[in-house]
Amino acid sequence: MTAISNPSAAPVVATRKRPLRPVDVVQRAIGYVLLVLLVLFCLVPFAWVVLSAVDADAGAIVKFPEFSFVNFTRFFSDPGTPLLLVNSLVIAISSTALNLALGIAGGYALSRFAFRGRRFFMFAILLIRVVPAPATIVALYLIMVNLQLANTLHGLILVQAVSGLPVTLWLMKGTVDAVPVELEEAAWTDGSTRLGAIRRIVLPVIGPGLGAAAMLQFMGSWGDFLTPLVLLQNQDLYPLAIGLFRAFTERNIVDWGLLAASGIVYVLPPAILYLFVRKHLLKSSLGGALKG
Amino acid sequence: MTSLVDAPASVQTAIRPPAPGRRRSRRTWPIVALLLGPSAVLITVFIVLPAVYGVWLSLTNTQLTGFAARNPQFIGLDNYTYLLASADFLASLGQTGTFLFWSAIIGQTVLGMVAAVLLSRTWVRGKGFFGAALLMPMVVPEVVASLTWASVLATSPEGTLNRLTGLFGADSTAWLQDFPMLAIILVNIWRGLAFAMIMFQAALEDVPAELIEASRVDGASAVQVFRYVTLPLIRGPVFLYLLLTTISTVGVFGLVYFLTRGGPGGQTTIAAIYIYERALQFSQIGIGSAASIILLVIVLVLGVVYVRLAKVQV
Amino acid sequence: MKRTHVVAAFTATMVVAAGLTACSPADGGGGDGTDGPVTITIVETKQTNIDAIGAVIPDFEAAMEEQGKEIKVELIEDILTDEQFKTKMTQQLVAGQAPDVLDIGESMAVGWAAAGYLHPLDDYLDDWDGWDHWYPEIQEALTRQDGSVYTLAGGASVQNFFVRKDVLEEVGVDTSQPETWDELIDRLIEVKEQTGDTPIVIPAGTAWGGGTWFEGFQPLLGGTDTDYYDRESGTWDLESEGWLPVFELYHELVSNGLLPVEDLQNPNPWEPTKYVKFPAGDIQVAAQGTWGWRFDWGPEGATPIEGLDEKVITWQYPALRDGDRTYGWINTGGGYAIPESSENKDAAMEFIKFLTSGEALAEQLAASGAASARDDLDDVAPYSNEPRLLEAGEDLAESILVVTGDGTDQIGQAVATATELILSGEADGQQAYDAFVQDATELLGPSLVKE
Repeated sequence: MTAISNPSAAPVVATRKRPLRPVDVVQRAIGYVLLVLLVLFCLVPFAWVVLSAVDADAGAIVKFPEFSFVNFTRFFSDPGTPLLLVNSLVIAISSTALNLALGIAGGYALSRFAFRGRRFFMFAILLIRVVPAPATIVALYLIMVNLQLANTLHGLILVQAVSGLPVTLWLMKGTVDAVPVELEEAAWTDGSTRLGAIRRIVLPVIGPGLGAAAMLQFMGSWGDFLTPLVLLQNQDLYPLAIGLFRAFTERNIVDWGLLAASGIVYVLPPAILYLFVRKHLLKSSLGGALKG
Repeated sequence: MTSLVDAPASVQTAIRPPAPGRRRSRRTWPIVALLLGPSAVLITVFIVLPAVYGVWLSLTNTQLTGFAARNPQFIGLDNYTYLLASADFLASLGQTGTFLFWSAIIGQTVLGMVAAVLLSRTWVRGKGFFGAALLMPMVVPEVVASLTWASVLATSPEGTLNRLTGLFGADSTAWLQDFPMLAIILVNIWRGLAFAMIMFQAALEDVPAELIEASRVDGASAVQVFRYVTLPLIRGPVFLYLLLTTISTVGVFGLVYFLTRGGPGGQTTIAAIYIYERALQFSQIGIGSAASIILLVIVLVLGVVYVRLAKVQV
Repeated sequence: MKRTHVVAAFTATMVVAAGLTACSPADGGGGDGTDGPVTITIVETKQTNIDAIGAVIPDFEAAMEEQGKEIKVELIEDILTDEQFKTKMTQQLVAGQAPDVLDIGESMAVGWAAAGYLHPLDDYLDDWDGWDHWYPEIQEALTRQDGSVYTLAGGASVQNFFVRKDVLEEVGVDTSQPETWDELIDRLIEVKEQTGDTPIVIPAGTAWGGGTWFEGFQPLLGGTDTDYYDRESGTWDLESEGWLPVFELYHELVSNGLLPVEDLQNPNPWEPTKYVKFPAGDIQVAAQGTWGWRFDWGPEGATPIEGLDEKVITWQYPALRDGDRTYGWINTGGGYAIPESSENKDAAMEFIKFLTSGEALAEQLAASGAASARDDLDDVAPYSNEPRLLEAGEDLAESILVVTGDGTDQIGQAVATATELILSGEADGQQAYDAFVQDATELLGPSLVKE
């Protein structure tokens, strides 16, 4: 195994310099063209969001803006906005942290221990998520009321952390699988406790899986609309996902400019998180651990 | 070429679950309970219990509003026989299938894989930009995503897509009316591409760069390398992705609802919209729950098929 | 590496801790129903109502204090769409967690009253002389199928056609009340020939949602046939004779190119039609309730029309078949309600009485654009300063309504789907009607369809 995942000094960057063959050039050109096309596909629809956000007279259709920041001014000058943002951040960060903590512990157990019902448990938690929220929200709300968790942020945080937990458990289980158990065993013989070995050996190398899980959980929580709508009654606890609907005024007219501006603000935190997590995602941590 | 065939088999040992490491001693249970217990309890309370309650509701004629709400009765499998004989429900299952197959299993998987493979290449510059750009569709709120696409697909000549096709001399098309299913498939590919990319990126990181490099030196083309070296190594993650995207695509609701409300003429009433209409709009939570359970069974079967096809172990 | 992990873990822990402790549960404010001060809660989802209610709360609290009652009102400002509000409030009603006073529309009132979530107000109303001032038509409209009143509304709206008199005069088309639909369609065709516009908007199709039924189809149907809902048995008569002519009317309007079909098929169809084309004069006739004078085109409305009073007049609905007469359609049936689970019903009712009387009511009516449901309000400012609303109040007496019950949502859905078929050119009137019957039968289930 060591022979193949050859621990060279810098695994990823270890591209040996060799002259580019014409076929390489063609392949790279095709690669770039594909990437650019994909990026266009992903970004062109945003033309509307970006242009409308800076358009004082925005509408439902892409047009050249009457340039102004009045939509952002209106969004941020609403006295409720800071609270919405803070709530969203508290909810998303807390639920992600809780979700990851539970996921790492559970994922480790699922990976390292053979126990009865393990396979069943894994498939069951994944498949049960197929039951769509409209069918479960009644029961969920009743449970929350009985646990006195309705209309509280920590109740919402708990629900969201758990709703993403099946996926996180799967991701973390897969990630821990990829860490050779021999490394841990070596640490035990060096006198580490089981927990100490986890901390020293496992935690440092599960970055990519952790990053992916964090990203997914954060976005799931950030974008969730139905759960906070039903679970929360107090305006002061609302997240941005509900606050967005302020742009839908009475008589169901849409304030396009305000909606676009809030949309842009809304997109930023997950996008920033991605920029951080991306480096993590791309770090070949397994190779690094072997080297150390 | 021989190295290509041999290498994956040997590398697979690194990927398969490290069975020797599993403790089988009697002292396993306390530590498993400690590590997994909290998750299991919370999942039971917040996910399993509501779903079990849903199973119970599906066997009753419970409604949330109206006279029927006063005195719900146990009616056995009536909701199920009603649904399985209902043309609307069967049509919604069919539409879910079309939507799932083209948008998730084909569209997101292929494009997500292309993006992940390209972004794992060392020669690609500007990975941060490309990655972030591809991620944008996933992080916009559903409402904004839907309205954004409404502006792209707008019927009037000012719609973005109509402007684009107009460049080639085509007439304006009412995309959301004439090709509603195609439209929501396109939108869902757009939205889910990044999820596929993230999952595949993480998987590709575990494929040793030396192996690919070696195959390239041996003269294999990029496509051959992918087919014979990379793909076999990431079979597990691909399978997991397919399972996850199946589950999440079957649950897609807001994106389609805000865009088409299931129309026109029910052409985009996928199962999630059917269930929403029944359970919350018409308050027929019993029927809505039964529809959910039928959906669950179908996905269960699909899941088993995936497991068989991918020959994965967990 | 290790250090960053420790830092990350620490930060994460702190954030969780902060999240769990800093956000203690909001104080319930439900009141406890015992002696001493009582706090009641009311939820409003529209800014206009939030402002109007918020303004009268101090007056109410003062008035109660004069009577020796200590009642505080907590206004829950929850800006949501109707659909979101319904979803949310249904859960709270099921769990017995709803606020003490709800402000709801007809479809919610019907479903929730039938389900037993709302407290019947009959006993309170019997003991209150204010109730005698309600117009009998409105009293009837507020009475649910079981004979009880569950919601109290001080205002009502008359659904009519709002007409751009200025534009019609410009192109030389008669602006007097059309007696029959044939007459109206002739005029519309004339307008279309002169301007090239699609001159009339009536809610239709799936994109308009519940409005297709409540503001589009039902007013047309109700003027033609009042037997489509059987109050005795609480069932819908899908074979009642009015359905088909209305579907045929929609088809006629579409096949003559009089309805803005494209606009109606896009999301938010009211925007291009009521908020762009009608104010611009490019749509000349719009089916619209009294609130149009305020909410839609008033000086502080969605898209104000300058000189609204001179430019716009209303027509009653013309007769669809021989022997019918012209009519306005009464939109009400919603109003303030008290959940059965409320522990402060008496105090809640005091507040509702206050909201539906005198100056407090006059202010709400003027703010939202509705006619008074009471006969003793014409002299109360600011309502008395609104000639258009007073006029609508007079129309109320001549207008008609059909009280319906359980199943409006399903009927609304089936009508929306069937009219969508007409809009997309896939069906004529008869085909749409057939599709409607099939769809509605399936959605309603056997217990709500008349044999």
